[in-house]
Amino acid sequence: MHIQASGIRQLRQLNMKIKLFATLKDRAGTSEIVVDTGRPGQPLTVADLRRYVCETCPGLAALVASSIVSVNREFAFNHDTVSATDEVALFPPVSGG
Amino acid sequence: MPNPTLLDITTNPIDLNALQAGVTTPRDGAVVIFTGTVRGETGAARTTRLEYEAYAEMAMGKLSQIAEEMRKKFALIHGIALVQRVGLMAVGEPTVAVVVSAGHRGDGAFEAARFGIDRLKQIVPVWKKETRPDGSAWVEGDYLPVPGD
Repeated sequence: MHIQASGIRQLRQLNMKIKLFATLKDRAGTSEIVVDTGRPGQPLTVADLRRYVCETCPGLAALVASSIVSVNREFAFNHDTVSATDEVALFPPVSGG
Repeated sequence: MPNPTLLDITTNPIDLNALQAGVTTPRDGAVVIFTGTVRGETGAARTTRLEYEAYAEMAMGKLSQIAEEMRKKFALIHGIALVQRVGLMAVGEPTVAVVVSAGHRGDGAFEAARFGIDRLKQIVPVWKKETRPDGSAWVEGDYLPVPGD
């Protein structure tokens, strides 16, 4: 029972919430997705996260490469690392103003 | 006297007179107001309305960053207002306002306003969906951020 409980806690830590906007939100049908990012304790890069989004949501795959990632409300780049508690968003090039 | 900085992401109609009053201090003899409006005709194409969506928490941070950048580049300006309206808007309605006050127009007021709107359109996480007679589509931005943005 103890081993099962810690296994479940580990699974919860694997999942990252990602906010979606504009075309990505429309195509996913939701403003937030949860992505399975693999084993905890392994460093996760933005590039990794893009791959996991494509795997978890194949319908978004065609948009992911040209989309922008933000981590904790700042633009993030493929070599940047991400942790499970970060606020992450994925969105198209902006068109405000 | 501190320099006024008014930043907003709002569904409310933009009140340009209020923004001018809000950024102008007794030291100011020049106020530049840029407002972007919903354009209904682009060549032969017709737009009936625009709908804007924002990642509001990040957008406010970026407006704050742009105001700091404006003050660094244009050290003589005083008041700044940066307002992005979101939600549904009709042709002719203001969608965005950039307002800059300064002692004199030669103190960089025009240039700072131009820089402000150009920067807003590069880095503020807001997207617009255009409705035309034949349907709606998100407008694609063409700027990819670089480190420091």
